[in-house]
Amino acid sequence: MALAARELLTASGLDRAAFEEFLIHEARLLDERRFRDWMELFADDGTYWVPATPDQNSPFEEASLFYDDRELMKTRIERLEHPRIHVQTPPSRTAHIVGNLVVEETDEAKGEYVVGSTFIMVEYRDDAQRLFAGRQRHRLRRHGDTFRIVQKRVDLINCDGAFEAMAVPI
Amino acid sequence: MRNGHADDIATLVEPGRVHRRVYTDPDLFELEMERIFGRAWLYVGHSSQVKEPGDYITTDLGRQPVIMVRHRDGSIKVLLNRCSHRGAKVVNDRKGHAQRLTCCYHGWSFDTDGKLATVPVPEGCGAGFDRDALGLARAPRVGVYRGFVFASLADKGPSFEDHIGPMQGNIDDLVDRAPDGELALDAGMHRYVYNGNWKLQVENVLDSYHVPFGHASTVNKQGVQFARREGDQKGATVVEAEKKQTAASWKDRKSFTVGNGHGWTSNTTLDDGKRSSPAFDEYKRVLAEKVGAERAAEILTPRLHNSLIYPNMSIMGLNIHVRVIKPIAVDRTEVNIFPIRLVGAPAAMNFGNIRLLNVTHSAASFVQTDDLESFVRAQKGLQSRMSDWVDISRGLGAEEPDRATNATRGLATHEMVVRAQYKAWVGYMREAA
Ligand code: FES
Ligand SMILES: [Fe+2]
Repeated sequence: MALAARELLTASGLDRAAFEEFLIHEARLLDERRFRDWMELFADDGTYWVPATPDQNSPFEEASLFYDDRELMKTRIERLEHPRIHVQTPPSRTAHIVGNLVVEETDEAKGEYVVGSTFIMVEYRDDAQRLFAGRQRHRLRRHGDTFRIVQKRVDLINCDGAFEAMAVPI
Repeated sequence: MRNGHADDIATLVEPGRVHRRVYTDPDLFELEMERIFGRAWLYVGHSSQVKEPGDYITTDLGRQPVIMVRHRDGSIKVLLNRCSHRGAKVVNDRKGHAQRLTCCYHGWSFDTDGKLATVPVPEGCGAGFDRDALGLARAPRVGVYRGFVFASLADKGPSFEDHIGPMQGNIDDLVDRAPDGELALDAGMHRYVYNGNWKLQVENVLDSYHVPFGHASTVNKQGVQFARREGDQKGATVVEAEKKQTAASWKDRKSFTVGNGHGWTSNTTLDDGKRSSPAFDEYKRVLAEKVGAERAAEILTPRLHNSLIYPNMSIMGLNIHVRVIKPIAVDRTEVNIFPIRLVGAPAAMNFGNIRLLNVTHSAASFVQTDDLESFVRAQKGLQSRMSDWVDISRGLGAEEPDRATNATRGLATHEMVVRAQYKAWVGYMREAA
């Protein structure tokens, strides 16, 4: 599996490091609360999805924790910038770690790649520290010498658990 | 307070204020579990969650784990999820399907009406072994109204009709919107928890006063909230931007109480005439085809926003859902939100509702998260011993009868509904079981 992916990668002329660098950059934008820059990583038709059940098939037929298109993302970020967002007073601080990256699909014709990875996000806010972890899949589209996110899907290992308020994207 | 003397309870609630201990005292919480959650009619689930015989869901009524299951005769049973042998929780999944419910420990299995079906190594059972007495305990009373299943854990008390009667119209309002006259709660659920008392969520459901400030971060510079329904171009105007104050139209919203702690808020600010999308237009066509144009127009006239069926559930008429409130401890509460599908409505409209509910009521939503922050801060603030009272006096004395609905009416930015909840609370709490 890993070997096959590497062969495909070679065929596409893309280095695994390019994907890794992109995911690290994305995580860093979130950790630095540069939400607008983070949103700009998404393609115009891009979506950000955090399902509420494992192996969830559709964001339309079942409840999700997040399912934002660019328009909802913008509303979410305007809210994150609002001075009276109570659930971010004080704001969350987060640290992401992204690893175990595997290129799962490549479609050279469309210039699209699916990259799977494992992440851990630690969040601290108002005297409480929380841990989020799971797998994420980025469908990326080639855009000049970088990528745009067509879909970021985050599968939290506890996605069907009960959560205290979550204010920032994972 | 441990014994819950009627006189002590009565001192906690005054006409325009309640004592902070109703939110913070663990002994009072124990008493609530006994006297409210131990006997009131509680919402359990919806019949669409257990469509076929053998379908079940598990939930909690207060702190009692229960199984809601469809029996083969079509009836819905509410069984205590506790093995009658040595006490293990019998069903561990949140939902599923089974012919028999089998305990993991020694393998006793139970029929879907709770009767004990099989016992491994039966020759070990003595002569006095009474199979009939060893079924799963059942909620003594179960009532179903248009698919909404309620149960009482007490064998005596006000009838289901007495309890739910005044709120049937609110349930009808929602169910009648489905072209096939049926709802489906089959689109998953949102689950959130907070470090605060359960009543903070119950009180909030009908509180329109907090919206312009509590949800300021969801209101744009023009004072308008984002669209919350499939087909809406924008949300409600809650602030008059120039004057920087709560919009007059928002202040006009009404709230209603009908006894038993129940109540609702009216939905007066959304201009329904502007709602349009291919899916919504198709929905209107299908509905009119099924029920006639006149009835369809009536159904589509917005009347209700949130309806509270005290003590543990609410239904929302705007971006439609059912909310279930589950007390865990005096300062810990879980809430479950179920998106509603209108059976017979275009799929795209139902999808739109499911999607927008993520935005308003998931644990990561734009709306609910600020409420959760308020609940947590209320619980923290109420720890203070320097000040004992919580003020709920807005609109005290301004209540008036509403003949059209046989209810008592006030403004939705008043606190009449909270006072009505405490009236019901005292009613439950004063009486020993
Ligand atoms: S505890 Fe259930 S079978 Fe023994
Ligand atoms: Fe709210």
